[in-house]
Amino acid sequence: MSAAAVPARGTACSDSLRTRILLAILLWVTLGIVGIWYSATTLFAKHVERSYHDELSVHIEELAGLVRVDAGGELMLDRPLSDPRYLVPLSGFYWQIDVPDRPPMGSASMTRGSLAGQVARDDAIRHRVERGPTGATITYGVVRHVPRVGAVKFLVATDQRILDETVASFTHELTIWLAALAAALVATGFAAVSFGLQPLDRLSRASARLRSGAAARLDGDYPSEVAPLVEDLNAFIDYNRVTVERARVEAGNLAHALRTPLAVITDEAERLLQRAETRESAHSLLDQGQTMVQQIEYHLARARSAAGARGPTTQCRVDEVLPPILSAMRRLHPGKQFEFVALDAAESSWPLDPVDFAELLSILLDNAGKWSRRNIVVELTGNAETLQLRIVDDGPGLAPENTVTAFEIGTRFDPSKPGSGLGLAIAHDIAQAYDLQIALGARSDGRSGLEARITVTLAAAPTA
Amino acid sequence: MRLLVVEDDEQLASRLSDRLCDAGFAVDVARNRDEGAAWPDMDKIAAVILDLGLPDGSGMDLLRHWRQNKVDRPVLILTARGSWQDKVAGLNAGADDFVVKPVRFEELLARLHALLRRETGSRETWIEEAGIRLDPITREVECDGVPLSLSKQEYRLLNLLIRRPGQVLSQGDIIDHLYAIGSQRDFNAIEVLVSRLRRKIGAERIRTVRGLGYRFGR
Repeated sequence: MSAAAVPARGTACSDSLRTRILLAILLWVTLGIVGIWYSATTLFAKHVERSYHDELSVHIEELAGLVRVDAGGELMLDRPLSDPRYLVPLSGFYWQIDVPDRPPMGSASMTRGSLAGQVARDDAIRHRVERGPTGATITYGVVRHVPRVGAVKFLVATDQRILDETVASFTHELTIWLAALAAALVATGFAAVSFGLQPLDRLSRASARLRSGAAARLDGDYPSEVAPLVEDLNAFIDYNRVTVERARVEAGNLAHALRTPLAVITDEAERLLQRAETRESAHSLLDQGQTMVQQIEYHLARARSAAGARGPTTQCRVDEVLPPILSAMRRLHPGKQFEFVALDAAESSWPLDPVDFAELLSILLDNAGKWSRRNIVVELTGNAETLQLRIVDDGPGLAPENTVTAFEIGTRFDPSKPGSGLGLAIAHDIAQAYDLQIALGARSDGRSGLEARITVTLAAAPTA
Repeated sequence: MRLLVVEDDEQLASRLSDRLCDAGFAVDVARNRDEGAAWPDMDKIAAVILDLGLPDGSGMDLLRHWRQNKVDRPVLILTARGSWQDKVAGLNAGADDFVVKPVRFEELLARLHALLRRETGSRETWIEEAGIRLDPITREVECDGVPLSLSKQEYRLLNLLIRRPGQVLSQGDIIDHLYAIGSQRDFNAIEVLVSRLRRKIGAERIRTVRGLGYRFGR
């Protein structure tokens, strides 16, 4: 099959092994990182809360332990609490002592507001979120009996925002680190996938070279997991090539085996043609014989070109294929001048089997040789996208309406010239099999003659 | 004029030989490559019709063998192998024309005569010399514009002589060119044939060169 006829490769994400693996890695990393993030932040928040709880419980016990009653029956502290934050105004750390029938005592930090005394209900340390001097506070409270004073409420509080800020700071840093970790994991995964799939990339490029004709087999070294597949494919390619070649030979042998008896039949028919009583039968035999020859020749040529075009395409160069054909044409058409001009594409490669290309060129050159007065020029031009071969003769040319019908089977514009009327039909079939454009027309320089043009659109060349 | 047909198919070789004899040629047949390679008098052969598929080797090899051994006789390949790959290979191996079986005999004959004409450098389909005009394709002969009726052997002799005007041909030369290798050869028959032809085209056109042979024309 020609390169252009190869079905387009699927490009959807689901068709790419690389994309599939990357999507799986992305999903796995996302789930893992989100799980870690959630677990870590939850655990950290609990840990921070527990730490605060323990710390404030110690603070409230310390506060209760520092209280004593002076001689006047007033409560007083032996010393300030050990945590200096209770001394800084509105620091977020506050304590308060509620004494029945007396104004409450408060920390130096509590320059305004008060703590909710109802948190302290009994001798067990309890805590609750209440409004405090600087917003929501986690307030711890306990009731202790103080001799000569009675039940006293001890309250210690810290702003909720301090705990929230601690947790938020941790979460922020954790998120950055986990995001970096996720990016590193995904990048590592991508690198691993790329490295791991390199043999498949090489196989893909080798396959492209095979299809374009730049290589005859899948070349290169592959890891043990892929090597057996490559070996099997190469064995299949070799088998296919041998089968196609054998089929071509067998088709040729069949034609050969049929043509010799047909030659005898033709000769017999020609002898019968000389007698009046058998003339009609002779004509019938000759006509049918001619039809058989046409069918053999046409279908043999089709089988040859179809077999060549369905296999991995090979490449051939005009400057290698053409010289022996021109040499043969000079012998076949003595007195005619055959000239090859390669303007700027002499070394270009054509994506078709050399045998089929030679058949195509031979047909067109023989046709030009038959009709030309003296000169036949083969001109090759091309660029990165297209190559064009023009075979220009100085014969009588063709009427515009005949330039298309000339490719039909059995078309002969001058029965006096030898030929079967199949050559151009076969050339057309070969061109079609390889997606080449073939056309006949007037000479582009306006002179008398015919110009046969073969054009090929080049596919992007695969890199090694 | 003698032709060598190298063809392994006995029936086809026989039919082709008969038709070519009818067309005025003497025909020798070689059945295989070795017979063709060892053919003793290739210099007396006017042209070769060569099949490519021979039982003991390729006709292409035989053609190369001839060309390597300076056998320059025109060779027309007549084969059942009809691909251009075969045609190009055959022509580049030294063939002068390539015809695919089956072929109408008129076409084969026309191409054969075209090869022989190419040998003489003539572009015309007929040969004209000393007032005699001979058309090898239609086998029509005119003498000073008057149509002549010649027997098969007379025509063959005239066809040989008219292509070699001014050359002296011995009886042996004439026999070598007119009779196939296996056929009966008789020098007296040549004398009789020459005298019959002289009566029809005029004795002055075929002169006897004493002790050497016959000279046509000038």
